[in-house]
Amino acid sequence: MTYFVFFLGACFVIGILGVASNPSPYYGVVGLVLASVAGCGWLLSLGVSFVALVLFMVYLGGMLVVFVYSVALAAEPFPEAWGDWRVAGYAGALAAVVLVGLVLGGVVGSWGFGVVTVDSVGMFVVRLDFSGVAMLYSRGVGMFLVAGWGLLLTLFVVLELVRGLSRGAIRAV
Amino acid sequence: MSPLHLSFYSAFVLSRLGLAFHRTHLVSALLCLENIMLSMFVGLTMWPIENQTPSFTIVPIIILTFSACEAGTGLAILVASTRTHGSDHLHNLNLLQS
Repeated sequence: MTYFVFFLGACFVIGILGVASNPSPYYGVVGLVLASVAGCGWLLSLGVSFVALVLFMVYLGGMLVVFVYSVALAAEPFPEAWGDWRVAGYAGALAAVVLVGLVLGGVVGSWGFGVVTVDSVGMFVVRLDFSGVAMLYSRGVGMFLVAGWGLLLTLFVVLELVRGLSRGAIRAV
Repeated sequence: MSPLHLSFYSAFVLSRLGLAFHRTHLVSALLCLENIMLSMFVGLTMWPIENQTPSFTIVPIIILTFSACEAGTGLAILVASTRTHGSDHLHNLNLLQS
């Protein structure tokens, strides 16, 4: 089971590497979806299922869908996937940089295995993540209101940015 | 460093490098920014698991909220610059170059 969690961690890094090598955005979104699914499975394996579900729905189902629609702005006749030598070169160079940093940082020599979970079969009646996020509405109500206000503000920011035609922020005509 | 910490730390470093060494599209740079936020989210969720402090679970949720704000603003900038320059290529954003 421990090795399964490490496999999900490795899939996470591979997905991120797939996006960081900057292929055409159509393929970059695939890497991001792989990284989100692996991260979600990782959090599920560790026991925080509520936070994993929030990640899945808000991140994958909300933000990534909007990104996928906006990727249509990056249409080009010959999109570069990871097989292209430029993208593969970037991916190899980034992986080499991270590996060199790992070796120089002395990380590879000293590996501590072990996974902590939040399976509360013993003393706790309520799971850790459910009770923690529920505290956002009771003790953290100030932060909750600030976050809601920030979201409302962002709506108006986006509306002003894409207004166009003479009132817009970035518009030539 | 435990392997799981290593995993999200190297994901953070990789996406930061991917943002720094951007190539052609602005959308790719925004995707790397989203990856930074994703790795930070996973890393911040490891904290309440390992320290068994439920109240810290609020922080990843708040960070996800503000990451959604930032993604929306980034996409609005993408749309605005595509309207102006015709494409989202990063070498078009050169007004400040001498």
